[in-house]
Amino acid sequence: MKINYKWLQDFVTLGDLAVTIEEIGCVLTDLGLNVEEIESLDDNFILDIEVTTNRSDCLNHLGIAREIAAHYRIPVNSADVFFSENKKKSTSLSSGIQIDNSDLCPRYTGRVITDLKVEESPNWLTSRLESVGQRPINNIVDITNYVMLAIGQPLHAFDYEKLEENRIVVRTVKSGESLNFLDGVQRQLNPSMLVICDAQRPVALAGIMGGQETEVSVETSTIFLESAYFNPGSIRRTAKYLGVTTEASFRFERGADPEMTDKALNYACHLLQEISGGVLAGPILDEYPNPHPETSIVLRSERIGKLAGLSVDQEFITDVLPRLEFGLSPNSKEGVWQVSVPSFRSDVKIEVDLIEEVARHYGYDQIKSTYPAISGIGKFLPTRNHDRIITRKLEGLGFYEAFNYVFANPSKEAMFWDSSSSSMVEISNPLTGEDTHLRISLLPGLLRTLERNLNRGNQDVRLFEFGRVFVPGNGDLQEVQEISKLALVATGLFYQPFWDQFDDQFSFYHLKGVVESLLDGLDQQGTFEAISNVEFLHTNVSARVSVGDKLLGVIGEVAPEIQEAYRFRQSVFVAEFSLSPLYAKPLQEPQYFSFGRFPSVEQDLSFLVDNKLEYAKILDAVEELNISDLQGIKLIDLYQGPTLPQGKASLSIRLTFANSERTLIQDEVNQHTERVFSVLQKKFSVEGRS
Amino acid sequence: MRGKVHPLWEKFSRDLESVSSSDQLSDLRDEYLGRKRGLISLELKKLAMLSSEERPLVGRKLNELKEQVEQSLLEKKSYFEQQHRSNRLKTEGIDVTLPGYSFPKGNIHPLRRVWEEMEEILVHMGFSVASGPEVEDEYYNFEALNIPQGHPARDDQDTLYLSGNLLLRTHTSPVQIRAMESQQPPVRIVVPGRVYRRDSVDATHSPMFHQMEGLVVDKGITLADLKGTLEIFLKALFSEDTLVRLRPSYFPFVEPGAEVDISCIFCRAKGCSVCKNTGWIEILGAGMVHPKVFEMVGYDPEKYTAFAWGMGIDRIALLKYQVNDLRLFFENDIRFLRQF
Repeated sequence: MKINYKWLQDFVTLGDLAVTIEEIGCVLTDLGLNVEEIESLDDNFILDIEVTTNRSDCLNHLGIAREIAAHYRIPVNSADVFFSENKKKSTSLSSGIQIDNSDLCPRYTGRVITDLKVEESPNWLTSRLESVGQRPINNIVDITNYVMLAIGQPLHAFDYEKLEENRIVVRTVKSGESLNFLDGVQRQLNPSMLVICDAQRPVALAGIMGGQETEVSVETSTIFLESAYFNPGSIRRTAKYLGVTTEASFRFERGADPEMTDKALNYACHLLQEISGGVLAGPILDEYPNPHPETSIVLRSERIGKLAGLSVDQEFITDVLPRLEFGLSPNSKEGVWQVSVPSFRSDVKIEVDLIEEVARHYGYDQIKSTYPAISGIGKFLPTRNHDRIITRKLEGLGFYEAFNYVFANPSKEAMFWDSSSSSMVEISNPLTGEDTHLRISLLPGLLRTLERNLNRGNQDVRLFEFGRVFVPGNGDLQEVQEISKLALVATGLFYQPFWDQFDDQFSFYHLKGVVESLLDGLDQQGTFEAISNVEFLHTNVSARVSVGDKLLGVIGEVAPEIQEAYRFRQSVFVAEFSLSPLYAKPLQEPQYFSFGRFPSVEQDLSFLVDNKLEYAKILDAVEELNISDLQGIKLIDLYQGPTLPQGKASLSIRLTFANSERTLIQDEVNQHTERVFSVLQKKFSVEGRS
Repeated sequence: MRGKVHPLWEKFSRDLESVSSSDQLSDLRDEYLGRKRGLISLELKKLAMLSSEERPLVGRKLNELKEQVEQSLLEKKSYFEQQHRSNRLKTEGIDVTLPGYSFPKGNIHPLRRVWEEMEEILVHMGFSVASGPEVEDEYYNFEALNIPQGHPARDDQDTLYLSGNLLLRTHTSPVQIRAMESQQPPVRIVVPGRVYRRDSVDATHSPMFHQMEGLVVDKGITLADLKGTLEIFLKALFSEDTLVRLRPSYFPFVEPGAEVDISCIFCRAKGCSVCKNTGWIEILGAGMVHPKVFEMVGYDPEKYTAFAWGMGIDRIALLKYQVNDLRLFFENDIRFLRQF
């Protein structure tokens, strides 16, 4: 809201105060009317004030003047500028006002003015309007805007001659009615909307915008000037429905002053007589079927301290509230008053609203800091340490964390649906025509991020993302499941090129190692099983990962189809997991247990085996032997190549043996190794190599 | 050395002279001191055949010789070792300015970094972290927060709607309601989370961003407690000399309401472009929880009072790291991400 400093002084005399514009700016900001900018304009200033949605009374110069006057304890000059009637009289013109819906229109005031000459406004008027960003149109319209900006009441002028039977009917829309608006657009109306009609048809959408057919034009000489009070909710619903916001609707929907309609009308008539040669044809017509109920609130001074933490003495309260035009009458109890609220303060409804009034005029800067008593220890979310371990591990492993939008394009992402879902959650008013749904997987966004990085020349990229995905409830759209997921993508070199060794490309096993490291950090172990039914993964380079009996997610190389769609020129590896199975196991305080004092012995075993045999099968077979001295098995070499028989692979495993009670002797170790070899021989027909 | 020098000594001295490596030295040692065939060892064995008069004299001489030989061997050995070390130092060497092994960098997201920092400060101040759904309904997102249908404040938070009366939460405040519904005072929670508004993407707007909300409910909680709490929090988050200012403002779910500013961290409140020469930066919205909100969750406003505040995590990150475009946080270019 722009406020012209000289215009402001129509309503409050600042000359005697010797204050600077900067001080005025600070005072208003401290009162909750944040002055965002002070612009100097010739010998004047324009203040740009951020008016919060509750303070519709401050969307005009008078309202701002009231606050300044209350602060400096000086009077508001308002009463006498409003009206003086000139002696010229024209014949009384009739105009009936009929309100059919007094809930939506509690008050409608109007007057007929004749002998007008529609022309350009005088300079002082246009320059004031322009200074606060209002474009001048003609003297009649300018006067209505001027009054609104001065004292807050929106007005509308109809060409009187064009009103059928010179009548005004305020009613809701009848089916099929539409209106050609002042902005040249025809809009269909619906029966919940309030319209101003003449004897036949709607001529204006109440409180929002007038119609073209009754618009004031250069030929107009007689107007019907409307000054009304409309129900804020009704104006708001209509304006929102039509997507129209005007200066008038902005004020009406935030709440105008129902007691201002006649005063504003007088003020405008005064200006019309002065500026446009107008003659008043008859008295003010004022229909007020639904008088504004006075709000009366009990204020207890002790509550000010209890809420605001301020010790305000009673004198201040009884001084400041009347300055803000609240009526105070003492209650039977000491320090308690019955407070009546002025009609322009529709935001003040209950005691706390009055407490804020007192507190903001007393000054929030007077609040002395105190601290609430500690009521217990602060706790993180139970999942926080899991997240902490995962993020820090990934960070150490060279992954960058991405934050992607949750908005998703269903046509591109259908293949990322997991088998449990067959649809995505739809946004009814999406920002773009493409991203119309909520993501069901983190991977599409992460792949897009990868694509962006590759296009920008970042070749070796490792990314992870934590976030929720959204799954529609079982057939019930009212239910949306939010699932916390973790996803990884990686491509390029595992380590940056080093001058002393060969490049090492990121592979499935690198990513698997990353996942194993994460799980290890959470003291959990994963099982990896080959799968080939995940649409977005390479059928032969993909696995399902579980922890215990719970499915965690999938890992693998992206399918060639996706690789091509994103135009990746290198292999890309991805993984996506649900976090809940990981969260399910709480992190324990570490418990020390003693490691063996006796040396361990390593024994290597090399053999040829069918290259289709999964390594996990070998591990299982060895584990089934239950050799208690066997502490670990490690794959130390895997070779497949032309020097071997067709279909064979050469494996070397390193077995580590130890006993916690004594040093093992070589014979025992040899026996254990022999058992291992013979079970492999029996089960998989391996052939020993040395 | 006393008396006549043993004849073997001269031979040994000559042999020792010609030794040029520690291997040869080891052979020399065997030649003289080897247990079975060493020249000195053989001489010692012969002692048994001497008369009892001769034996002590010859024996002493032999032992002296043995000691001398051992001593000389040791000296020579240490000489070779010394030579070997200095040789190594002379021949071995690297260019210490060649690059070290390149370990990957990796990083958590800057928004997580600020998020965690804020969360940690508040947990240490006795707040417990709470979370809630991102898909909410009209009741929790608006009505229970004293923003009924048709309230102009709904304009400030243009909402992304899903089907039915579901929506993407426009602030973290619904979690306040859920927390108060599920527990009796005292309540002291902090709610970080992701929120959504129907805003097009530009340098200062994003349809998805992050908020952190604080709530304290107890007997006797005042606006002064809010000020004190925020002062500690903001000093810890920015710097100890940060000043905190409360200005009256309006949010439907609090009354009295306040906008909270900190003294400009860039110009130390002297005036700069970030604070538009005011010396202050708007940082968060706060206030005393509205009695209507208490009514919704069944708390007695005469018995308890509460303060709450809400702030943008993204905005704090912009300020702290001097990032000039919000979009950078969601583009995830690793050249950006690696800077944090």
